[in-house]
Amino acid sequence: MDEISKSKKASVTSPEEEHDAQKGMYMTFLSGSECYGLKIQYVNEIIGFQDITPVPETEDYIMGLINLRGKIIPVIDVHRRFNRDPFEYNDRTCIIVVDVKSTLVGLIVEKIAEVVEIQDENILPPPSISRVDRSQNKYVYGIGKVGDSVKLLLDPERLLNDEEQLTSEQGTELMVDGE
Amino acid sequence: MADEFNTEGMLDMYLFENEQLLEQLQEMVLEQKDADCFDEDSINEIFRTMHTIKGSSGIMMFDNITAISHKLEDVFYFLRESHPDNVPHLELVEHVLEVEDFISGEMEKIKSGQGTDGDPSELIEGLNQFLDKIQGNGSESAAKGLPGNVHEEPKQFYIAPVASSASRFYKINVIFFPETEMANVHAYKVVYALKEIAEDILYSPEDIIADENSAQTIIEKGFRILLQAQASEEEVRNIIGVGYDIEKVDIYECQAEEFLQGFDFGEEQTAIDLESSVEEIEAKKAASEEGKKEDKISPGDFVIKPKEPGKPKKLAKDKTKSDKATFISVNVSKMDMLMDLIGELVISESVVMQNPDLKVPGLDLTNFNKAASQMAKISTDLQNVIMSMRMVPLTNTFQKMNRIVFDVSRKLGKDINFEMVGENTEVDKNIIEHISDPLMHLVRNAVDHGIETDEERMASGKKEKGKVTLSAKTEAGKVWISVTDNGRGLERDKILAKARKQGLLEDGKPDSAYTDKEVYQFITLPGFSTNEQVTEYSGRGVGMDVVVQNIQAIGGLLEIESTPGEGSTMNLKIPLTLAIVDGVVLETGTSSFVVETGLVKEFVSVREDMMIHEPSGDEFVMLRGECFPVLRLGDWYGLKDYKQSVEDGMMVVLELDGKTICMFVDKLVGKQEIVVKPIPSYIKKIKGLSGCTQLGDGSIALILDPSGFLE
Repeated sequence: MDEISKSKKASVTSPEEEHDAQKGMYMTFLSGSECYGLKIQYVNEIIGFQDITPVPETEDYIMGLINLRGKIIPVIDVHRRFNRDPFEYNDRTCIIVVDVKSTLVGLIVEKIAEVVEIQDENILPPPSISRVDRSQNKYVYGIGKVGDSVKLLLDPERLLNDEEQLTSEQGTELMVDGE
Repeated sequence: MADEFNTEGMLDMYLFENEQLLEQLQEMVLEQKDADCFDEDSINEIFRTMHTIKGSSGIMMFDNITAISHKLEDVFYFLRESHPDNVPHLELVEHVLEVEDFISGEMEKIKSGQGTDGDPSELIEGLNQFLDKIQGNGSESAAKGLPGNVHEEPKQFYIAPVASSASRFYKINVIFFPETEMANVHAYKVVYALKEIAEDILYSPEDIIADENSAQTIIEKGFRILLQAQASEEEVRNIIGVGYDIEKVDIYECQAEEFLQGFDFGEEQTAIDLESSVEEIEAKKAASEEGKKEDKISPGDFVIKPKEPGKPKKLAKDKTKSDKATFISVNVSKMDMLMDLIGELVISESVVMQNPDLKVPGLDLTNFNKAASQMAKISTDLQNVIMSMRMVPLTNTFQKMNRIVFDVSRKLGKDINFEMVGENTEVDKNIIEHISDPLMHLVRNAVDHGIETDEERMASGKKEKGKVTLSAKTEAGKVWISVTDNGRGLERDKILAKARKQGLLEDGKPDSAYTDKEVYQFITLPGFSTNEQVTEYSGRGVGMDVVVQNIQAIGGLLEIESTPGEGSTMNLKIPLTLAIVDGVVLETGTSSFVVETGLVKEFVSVREDMMIHEPSGDEFVMLRGECFPVLRLGDWYGLKDYKQSVEDGMMVVLELDGKTICMFVDKLVGKQEIVVKPIPSYIKKIKGLSGCTQLGDGSIALILDPSGFLE
C-alpha cells in the first residue's frame, strides 16, 4: 500500500509524469443527483464510513477527525462543501481518502460509482454562465463526457483549500459557510 | 567540491560518520584533558580518527579538511612513534579541539549547502610550530628517533610483557584439499571463526579476500595462522573444524617471543585489528601503503607493522572495553509510522478479544484465551520498546557542556573541575533538542559568574578547586537536571537592589519580606543581569529569561537554590517525553476530551446552590469560601447533548499560571497515559485545543489546553 501511495504522491506533484496506467482515469462518485470525478492519482484509498469525532469551531463542512490506522485525518462532507443540505449517512456512504500535496483528507460522499477513463478531448471547460450553484462551479475544472452521461471533474486542491481566495473573488456569500 | 559525480548519498554518510568520529574524539580528549598525557590507546585512536577523516574528506574533495586532518595526523604519528617527553599536554588538547572545531564548522557549512571555504592555514601553522617544538624536545630527550628513522629494536619487546598471562600462542597451519575451489574464501572462514576467541591473529598469505591468487598459494603452501588466545589447543581445533575442505590442521603451541617474531618465513604480515571498523582497517592499510610510497619501504614502516600483532591495545578478553552501543540512524517519520501502527495493533487486538462472536454461550475458549494472553504480552512489550526507542541518553548533551566548561574556564583563566553525574539518564529525543541551549547558558553562567577567579577564591579562603557539577536523574516521571557550582552564590542584596531600581518590587514592601526563592526568580526576568561587566560569555542580561522560556516551552520548571559564598544550584525539572502525557479523559456531550493530569487540582461535584449566576451570563462557583469562574465545556465549544445541570456533571478544577478555573464536564472517564498527536494542519488552530489522541477503543479524543480558555 505504501508503495502505491508513494507513486501516487509522486504523480500528484508532477502530473506530467503520470503513470500511463493512471492517465485519464477518474474515480467517480455520486453526491446528490450529480456524478463527480476525481483524478485517480489523488485517491489514496476508499474506506467505509466510520465514526467521526467532531472538532468544535471548524467550518461546517469539516465533519471532524477519523482514525485511519493510527493516523488521524480530517474528513469533509462534499455535500456540505457544495452548500447543499446535509444528507443522512448510511451504509452506502463512503470516505474517499485523498492525498493532496501530502495532506491526507477524507471526503465523505454518498456513493462511490466507478472508475472511468475519460480522454482529454472529451473534457470540456465548465460552462461560463452557470445558472444556480456558483459555489459548486469553482471546484469543477472540467466536464467529462462518458458515453451519454457527464461527470463533473473536481479539482481537489480547490475543494480543500482556497476559501479565503474565493471569498475575496466572489463576494461574501460564502462567508456564511466559512464561519 | 565534487561536482563531477553525484555524492549525495556519500555525503550523508560522510557527514554522519565524521560527526560521530569527532564526537568520540572530543569525548576522549576531554576525558584526558586533566591527565599529564594521552595514553597510548588514545593517541592511536586520535591518529586513526584523523586518518579516517583525512581519507574520506579526500574522497569528497574537501581539501581544507583533508589538509588540517593530515597535519594533526602527522602530530599524532610523531607522538605514537617517538614517544617524546615534555609534550605540553594542555596545548595539545587545545590543538586537537581547535582542529575538531574547524572540521565541525566546515561540516556545518557542507550541511547547509555551502562550500568548505574555511582557511585552515593558521591552524596548520600552529600545528607545525607545535610539532617542531615537540620534535625538538623529542629528539633530545627521547631515546627513539624521529619517524622514518630506523628503529634498531623491534618494538615487540615493549609489548610482550603486557599480553595477558592466560594467553596462549599458537602456530597453525591449515592445509586444504588441493581440489578446493576458492581456498581463500575458506581460509577467510577459518580466520573469521578464530576471531571469536582471538586476542590477536596474524595470517599468511595476508590478502585473502581481495587477492584471488592467494587461493593458489594457500593450496600450495597451506594457510598459516599465528593466534593469540586464551583457548586450549583442543578448542582451537574445534573452532577451525575439519570440514570437507580442510585436509589437515597442524597446531603448535609456542612462546610469546616466538609469536611476536611473526612468521619465520618473513613474508608480509597483516594484523587483524579486531577493534577497528572496516574503514579504519582500510585507512590503516592506506596509511601503510602511503607510508611506503613516501619512504620507499623504510624500515620505520616495518617497525609499526610487526608491532601490531603483539600490541595489547585493546585486548577484548583482558580489558573491559567501554560499552559503546552501536547505532543506526532511522528517519523519525518511520518511527512515528511504526508507533502509529503499534497503537493500531493494540486497538485491533482489543477488537478481536472483545469480539461479540466470542460471547456465544457454551464456547470453549481455553486455547483461545491462552493464545490471546500471549499475544497481549507481546503487544505490550512492543509498545514499551517503541517508546524506549525514542529515548536517548543525555551523554552527548553533557559532553558538549564539558567542552564549554573547558573553553570558558581556559579563556577566563579559572581552574575548574567539571563533573557529570547520571549522564546516562534517558530522555525523549525532542526534549534533548530543547534543553541543550538552556543548559549551555546555565553552565556558562556557572563558570563565568558562579565560580570566582582563583585569586578571589584564595582571598575568601576556599581551598578546593572551582567545580561545576552537571547531574541528571529521573524522579516521579520527570527528569531533574541540575547545574551546581561551588562559587560565590547569588547575592541577594545586589539582586534586590537591581530589582528595586527596575521597579520590580512592590512599593512599601521591605526587602526582608521577599523569600530567597522570590528574589532568585528575579534573575530569570528579561534584561536582568547583576553582572556589571559584559564578558564574552555572559552578562548581557539575556540568558536566564531565555532559559526559562525554553524550559517552560516544554513544560519544565527552573528552580534556583543558592547559599552565599558556597555556590548555587540551578534545578531543571522537565518532562521525560513530549509524546506521552498523563491525562484525565473526560466526556462532554458525545465528545471525549483529555486534560493533562498536572493541571488538574481536583474534581468536585457541586450543588446548584453553590453556583453564582451573573446577569451577564458569567457563572461562578463557591468552593470552600472561594469563588472561581466556571467554564462549561459543552457551551464553550457549542457541543450537542451535554448536561445542563451542574448537579448531573462534574467540575474539574484546573490550575494554571496561578489562576484557577472550574471546567464543567458531563463525566470523568478515567486517567491514562496518552500519546499526543497533532491536530491535522488542515484544521485551523482552535482555541483551547493542543492536540488529539487515540483512546483505547480507537476513538479520538481532543487534548485540552486550558491556557487557551484564559486568553
